[in-house]
Amino acid sequence: MIQADLTVILPEIVLSIYAMAALIGAVYTRKDGLGPLLVWSTAGLMAVLAIWIASQPNVTQVAFNGMFINDGFARFAKVAVLLSAAVILVMSQDYMSRRGLLRFEYPLLIALAAVGMMMMVSAGDLMSLYMGLELQSLALYVVAALRRDSAKSTEAGLKYFVLGALSSGLLLYGASLVYGFSGTTLFTGIIQTATHGEMSLGMLFGLIFLISGLAFKVSAVPFHMWTPDVYEGSPTPITAFFATAPKVAAMALFARVMHDAFGAAVSDWQQVIVLLSVLSMFLGGIAAIGQRNIKRLMAFSSIAHMGYGLIGLAAGTEMGIKAMLMYLAIYVTMNVGTFAFILMMERDGQPVTDIDALRQYSRREPAKALAVMILMFSLAGVPPMLGFFAKFGVWQAGISADLFGLVVASAIASVIGAFYYLRIVFYMYFGAENEDQLDTNSSPVLWGALMASAALMIVGVFYQFGVEGAAAAAAATLVN
Amino acid sequence: MSLFLIVALPFLGAVFPALLIRAGRNACAWSAGVTSALAFVGLMINLPAVLRGEAVTARLDWLPWLGLNANFFLDGLGFLFAALILGIGLLIILYARFYLSREDPMGQFYTYLLLFQGAMVGIVLSDNILLLLVFWELTSLSSFLLIGYWKHLPEGRQGARMALAVTGSGGLAMIAGMLILGHIVGSYDLSVILQNKELIQASPLYLPALILILLGCFTKSAQFPFHFWLPHAMAAPTPVSAYLHSATMVKAGLFLLARMWPVLAGTPEWFYIVATTGLITMLLGAVIALFKDDLKALLAFSTVSHLGLITMLLGFGTEIAAIAAIFHIINHATFKAALFMSAGIIDHETGTRDIKRLGGLRHLMPVTFTIALIASLSMAGLPPLNGFLSKEMMLEETVHTVWGHSHLLVPGLALLAALFSAAYSFRYIAHVFLGPKRSDYPSPPHDPPVGLWLAPAFLVVLVVTIGLNAQAMVGPLVKVAASAVTGGELPYFKLKLWHGFNTALLMSTVATIGGLILLIMHGGLERVWNAMPRPEAKTIFDTVIGTLTQVSRVITDTLHNGAISRYAMIFVVFTLAIASYAYFTGTMELPTRDVQDAPLLPIVAWFCLISATAMLTFLHRNRQLALVLIGVVGLIVSLSFNFLSAPDLAMTQISVEVVSIILLLLCLNFLPKTTPVDSSLTIRLRDAVIAGVAGVGSAALIYAVMIRDFSFPTISEFHLANSYKGGGGTNVVNVILVDFRGFDTFGEIIVLGIAALVIFALTEAVLASNVRAYLLNRKPEWPQSGDAHPLMMVVVTRVMMPIALMVAAYIFFRGHNLPGGGFIAGLVAAIAFVMQYMASGFTWAAERQRIFYHGVIGSGVLIAAATGMGAWFNGLPFLTSAFGYVHLTPLKEFELATAALFDLGVFLAVLGAVMLALESLSRFAWQPGMVTEHAMDINPKRDDPPDPNTDQPASEGEA
Repeated sequence: MIQADLTVILPEIVLSIYAMAALIGAVYTRKDGLGPLLVWSTAGLMAVLAIWIASQPNVTQVAFNGMFINDGFARFAKVAVLLSAAVILVMSQDYMSRRGLLRFEYPLLIALAAVGMMMMVSAGDLMSLYMGLELQSLALYVVAALRRDSAKSTEAGLKYFVLGALSSGLLLYGASLVYGFSGTTLFTGIIQTATHGEMSLGMLFGLIFLISGLAFKVSAVPFHMWTPDVYEGSPTPITAFFATAPKVAAMALFARVMHDAFGAAVSDWQQVIVLLSVLSMFLGGIAAIGQRNIKRLMAFSSIAHMGYGLIGLAAGTEMGIKAMLMYLAIYVTMNVGTFAFILMMERDGQPVTDIDALRQYSRREPAKALAVMILMFSLAGVPPMLGFFAKFGVWQAGISADLFGLVVASAIASVIGAFYYLRIVFYMYFGAENEDQLDTNSSPVLWGALMASAALMIVGVFYQFGVEGAAAAAAATLVN
Repeated sequence: MSLFLIVALPFLGAVFPALLIRAGRNACAWSAGVTSALAFVGLMINLPAVLRGEAVTARLDWLPWLGLNANFFLDGLGFLFAALILGIGLLIILYARFYLSREDPMGQFYTYLLLFQGAMVGIVLSDNILLLLVFWELTSLSSFLLIGYWKHLPEGRQGARMALAVTGSGGLAMIAGMLILGHIVGSYDLSVILQNKELIQASPLYLPALILILLGCFTKSAQFPFHFWLPHAMAAPTPVSAYLHSATMVKAGLFLLARMWPVLAGTPEWFYIVATTGLITMLLGAVIALFKDDLKALLAFSTVSHLGLITMLLGFGTEIAAIAAIFHIINHATFKAALFMSAGIIDHETGTRDIKRLGGLRHLMPVTFTIALIASLSMAGLPPLNGFLSKEMMLEETVHTVWGHSHLLVPGLALLAALFSAAYSFRYIAHVFLGPKRSDYPSPPHDPPVGLWLAPAFLVVLVVTIGLNAQAMVGPLVKVAASAVTGGELPYFKLKLWHGFNTALLMSTVATIGGLILLIMHGGLERVWNAMPRPEAKTIFDTVIGTLTQVSRVITDTLHNGAISRYAMIFVVFTLAIASYAYFTGTMELPTRDVQDAPLLPIVAWFCLISATAMLTFLHRNRQLALVLIGVVGLIVSLSFNFLSAPDLAMTQISVEVVSIILLLLCLNFLPKTTPVDSSLTIRLRDAVIAGVAGVGSAALIYAVMIRDFSFPTISEFHLANSYKGGGGTNVVNVILVDFRGFDTFGEIIVLGIAALVIFALTEAVLASNVRAYLLNRKPEWPQSGDAHPLMMVVVTRVMMPIALMVAAYIFFRGHNLPGGGFIAGLVAAIAFVMQYMASGFTWAAERQRIFYHGVIGSGVLIAAATGMGAWFNGLPFLTSAFGYVHLTPLKEFELATAALFDLGVFLAVLGAVMLALESLSRFAWQPGMVTEHAMDINPKRDDPPDPNTDQPASEGEA
């Protein structure tokens, strides 16, 4: 019994044992000198695990009496989480090393956060949900404050922690209410209480608090308040990490809870998600207009993007989940490229985050500027870039679930959002000449990530590397 | 030639100019020209089939999961537009070769141009609305690059930005409209959608879809109120203006209107929105055009006006109007492209486009004059040119159109627009070419080389020949295109010059004469016009953008002011809001349990709890008081556990309370006495209300949970039933801890031990850093008590120690069956030791310490592990417990369970962990001079009067 259970969670076990062993090993050997090595080995292990998970047969495995579910949906999310975390790690190595931030704990904390995320997307019980969520969050609180000598970074970590604790409290309160009204923490049990007829009001309250807690993790408005501050305060590679893997995990967890535990009462949560989605899209779009700091801008951009992703969830259908997963996969790809570029934004070796620094960038670095332009258009959702198809997919799902108002609102929001993405392009191509110019050197890793991501925005329109099929299968396992 | 190839050719061709630019400008132009020509030939091959009324199709599934298929079809309408795009494209390529100067990067220009051309061809040939959208936005992008081509001109950048903002946004709105349309029909293929007129028009979603799609069309075709971007896009090089803003891109909106005509037209909504917009645009554009001094601005507004005309015709929704619209699209493309090119020639040769600085060019530039004359007379609508024919048809249609209840409104305004249109056309001739020669042209004017005038000359020939022999030249094409628009049979029509004396002819005559009069009065009118206040589109656009940015800043600054309290407030308020929404919209099912009677005692305790909590919120700035109140709260909670028959919980709670209060007391040592006030009274009141509501709400919810039964049987029953049978104990809590969930407990004691070790390690690290100096030199804020180690305390703790240890042992041993257990026993023992530290000081106690706490923790964990592994010898899984009964005289029979051994491990780990943590923390407080060997002593300085110089509290700076 226990052996069978352990086999199911073997990837998680491997990663966590690796992280702990490496932690102890590094303490007793060369400490921070091992940083670069650990970054690469962690990234390598994550990539191997991702391939392993991706090649698992498409069957649903349940372990620990239903507390842990390894199905197509979980596998899809895990592969996305692991790959994006691996890429971000590799991208960050040079940046962190040069600024003396590459402590050996950094890659291992990321690995532990990844374990937490893998737990989250596989959760089949409120307990395992919370366990995964906290493992992830605690690791993230620490990395947010990794630059301890910077007041901003420390503040970011503290804010993230305090608000995160508040949201965890809400989530736990919701979980206890759900338990209180149903008498079980298993998703498979909770969903039965809802099918007895309508979901009781008490359960509804539990659901609302659960949603509030989860909305914090996906940084949906109005639970997004931490996002801009944390994005701005954290070292850039960590911001990049925040914007990618945890978002996928949190959205997947959100979908998992809604469908597995409350799938019988879609109409009850649909309205809340629609509200969160609309607020996120609009606030993300409007607030980003006023930002001059590209990290804050990307924070609001990620808020808005989560709003679009939530449309897929709000649809409450298999089509919606599939669209959401595709959206996340594409979103992560775009963000990896964009952050690769942000990591390259330096003047005299110092990081620059002001978008004014991009004026006339195209003249000096035509190739990079072109890649960024493609990414920006894709983020804005302008056809024929891949980002458009991501948006289009969720809109289609929304329309087929009769959420016309939501889709129209989202189209309007995307118009607002297009403004600030295009402003970056505008600065790069037509901006007034700027005295302070960015450095032109760039590490091959970052350059490669930027170009690959931009190329995918075009190539992906023609060929999706099997991601689309995987997303369809994943959605089917979750919703049925 | 396959339709795929026709669409792909410009895109493939776009590569060549960029690559061939090193081979010279001619090679560049030739490569662009040849690919365009090839595509044009490919299109012409399909002409016979199209004229037969067949639709040529090419299908390919692309992204079926999105409903996006690469389906193309070519019917009359598509053919007409494709021919215009490719044909005029060829002429523009020729023209641009001579127009662009040596400094301009020509390779880039042709690449952008071909990209744009490909996108346009894609739009008109798409059979899938999603594919159409993709190409639609692609035109926005490539036109952005073309308009901003002259990067050195700031107005070029501004124009490009505005054009992209307006058309791009419209396109996004259209996406939503198309999605809804596709949803109604169930397919995104145009050929399917066009078959479902009844379905679409009956749908309640018809109006939203219509409005969204029209937004896309109107922005693209510069219809009122989105007309403002077009004139600003004129900063582009003239070939771009001629191509994009006369012949092709702005017509994309019209194309879509025509394409959707069969399913969207014919309703009152369509008529009132489309026709009215067209009419307003036509009039407005014509009036503004008359007063523009920039040649290209004049032409830009005239384009706006003519686009309005075509929109209006499509809006009428009748077949004849559709024929007129199609015919005018051809005519407008020919004469307006010619006019733009002539304006470009003038700009190129004289160095200015300002009408005020021109005049008298007719002798200097005879060829240009001829071209411009014919083209603008056609624009004015004079016979026998093609502009006359379509304008006649338009006027004739307006006469039959009723707007609201008025028969005169539409023809009247159309006549007025025609009048202004004639006036600005005449002005283009009169003020530029006629009049006396001037001596102050910026550069000496002369006719351009052949390459530059060939393209417009060709178009002008078309203008004349179509005018003279319309039916033969374009009759069949107009017929197939118009029947594609109306989607059915057309009434009989013949394009001809002479229709006899009718109302339209009369109106035309009036318009021409009126136009001449206006031209004569132009000087006076212009003064009036300039004196008139009028909205300037650019300023409005800039203001709107500026305001939006401002609003966004305000929103951001209010929401994200960086204060964590505000974030938390928004967080809580929103949750409250959705929770109360749920409450007011749902109904709570009835409670299933009875409320118990409340005796006096718990009510009093409850009152104490509430008042302690309330006082805490008021008095929390005084840290010491706050700690006391927290202690009270903890105590009452522990007591209430006891009252509610959970003695185990009560004991655990009270031990944890004591330990944590001791910890917090230690911390008080390092903190200022009070916390600073950082918010105003109103904010605190607001927060109090929010917190109060949230608190009451969550209490109410918990109450609601407690008066209802679970949907499933609770887990407690399982434990109650199995605790004695399976675990050999009657204390369920303890059996859970050491048996049922022994694995968890084992993990927990390890974690506890690690936590204590981490505290120890951190203390070491901190005390090794420069913090140590601060700690050592720290001065207390207020005088310390004279009795460092008071007698009473010491005596009491010494007496208490054996008793406390005895209690711990007792609690430990009874644990398995009665309230108690290793965990609580560990805490109690820890309290016994900690009291010694408190009473006699750290140094004194540490000297008497024999065993290191690290070892205690380690042995605890090892004992627990060994117990667990013992089960392996019985062939059972890790931590399987066993128990038996032993009889030892003189004792009574008693039970021995392996679980008790495990509990011992727990006991040791807890004891060690608490002690190590407290010991580590107390080392922060250590200061030189505190060493004492005595169990009790007296501070020798206690009788000294407080010295103002030395006993001052540590200043803020030092802290």
